[in-house]
Amino acid sequence: MGINVGITGLHATDNPAPGIGVIRSLKHPNGWDGEIIGLAYDVMDTGIYDEDLLDHSYMIPYPNTNSKLILERLLYIHDQNRMDVIIPTLDSELALFQRLEPELKKAGIAVFLPKLDVSKKVSKAYIADFCEENNIDSPKTKVIKEPGELDKAIKEIGFPLMVKGVFYEAFKCRTKVEVLMHFDEMRTKWGYPIILQEVIEADEYDICCVGDRDGTMLGAVPIRKTRLTDKGKAWAAITLKNDKLYDLSKRILKALKWAGPCELEILQDKKTKKMHLIEINPRFPAWIYLCTGADQNLPKMVVDLALGKKVNPLPVAKSGVTFVRHATDIVCPIEWLEKLTTVGELHY
Amino acid sequence: MSGNFNSEVTISDSGFLFDHGTGLTYSLNETGQFIFMKMKEEVHANKMLELIMEEFDVDEETARKDIDDFYRQLKEAGLID
Repeated sequence: MGINVGITGLHATDNPAPGIGVIRSLKHPNGWDGEIIGLAYDVMDTGIYDEDLLDHSYMIPYPNTNSKLILERLLYIHDQNRMDVIIPTLDSELALFQRLEPELKKAGIAVFLPKLDVSKKVSKAYIADFCEENNIDSPKTKVIKEPGELDKAIKEIGFPLMVKGVFYEAFKCRTKVEVLMHFDEMRTKWGYPIILQEVIEADEYDICCVGDRDGTMLGAVPIRKTRLTDKGKAWAAITLKNDKLYDLSKRILKALKWAGPCELEILQDKKTKKMHLIEINPRFPAWIYLCTGADQNLPKMVVDLALGKKVNPLPVAKSGVTFVRHATDIVCPIEWLEKLTTVGELHY
Repeated sequence: MSGNFNSEVTISDSGFLFDHGTGLTYSLNETGQFIFMKMKEEVHANKMLELIMEEFDVDEETARKDIDDFYRQLKEAGLID
């Protein structure tokens, strides 16, 4: 009997969620011996129209709705199409799945996630403290919890600076007017806290890693983004072989005893060559399929970890592997939209 | 001259150089490719000069300038210190 996997984050536009890359990895190279169940928040989550990737799709309530309702929906889906594992792929749903983990486990659905206190420790609001405690370089950061703190923080950091939302988005600002504009935008969109961060003249690297919860890094693929969209998202990238990045990632995962996937964002100062940790995203990145191309199938590893299988660290990933993102159109019958809209599920 | 690059670097037959540590790529001309290969072989400076004069049929001054230019560009790109 194959392993059935439920996957979220299926909206793949110019700022794609990681779900599609996770599914492509699971199906690499010869398909997946089990069913892939898409869990979508919106009928226009584009990935749910790809019948080559999914066996079933179900609508689920947004992560900020009542968690009891979400659990009921997941258990309903599980009853219709057994889900052995769920891989959540969005930052905003991590806390929800961490809370639901015991109930899901009781029902026979496994997840492999960091503990709530661990992921909180490296959330954008607290990561500067984590870096300081662990002697890891990071840009000067101020966490703003009310408007009165803004002026002092701007003064301490200086221009240019980054204004960052607690979950998503970041804007480089050169003047106070720009800061105020983006600050208000973030406050309306994501609420407090809002993060102000020093801008460092640096090269940016990203690393997708998987930790085993005991402090061992089981896989890691460092990349450099070679083409960005106007939102700063990777449209092309290349894998690297870089001992400094690898060692820093190992240290970070060890300090956190991280469980499951994460994406580390690291800046290397052009002058000092120091590596600064700027963010840890507690999920797979949208470019996860590149890791699979570099001989590290990290989504398959996470399924094994969720099922409690013994997993050994992978050999160093292949460097010089590139990806170029390519937008395509999916053509499908109106009945698919109808089914997703009216009954909230679609079986291909 | 030495092959002490700051990270692993590889070059294709067409002179496309890839820095595995940073992900940056460069296109080398024929002279650059020649010097790069000799650096990898850890050829001594004097010998390098001699080999360039012989390979490209140029005088010592030109060969020296080619080597200096190439090294300057490698340093600017952070490939060597």
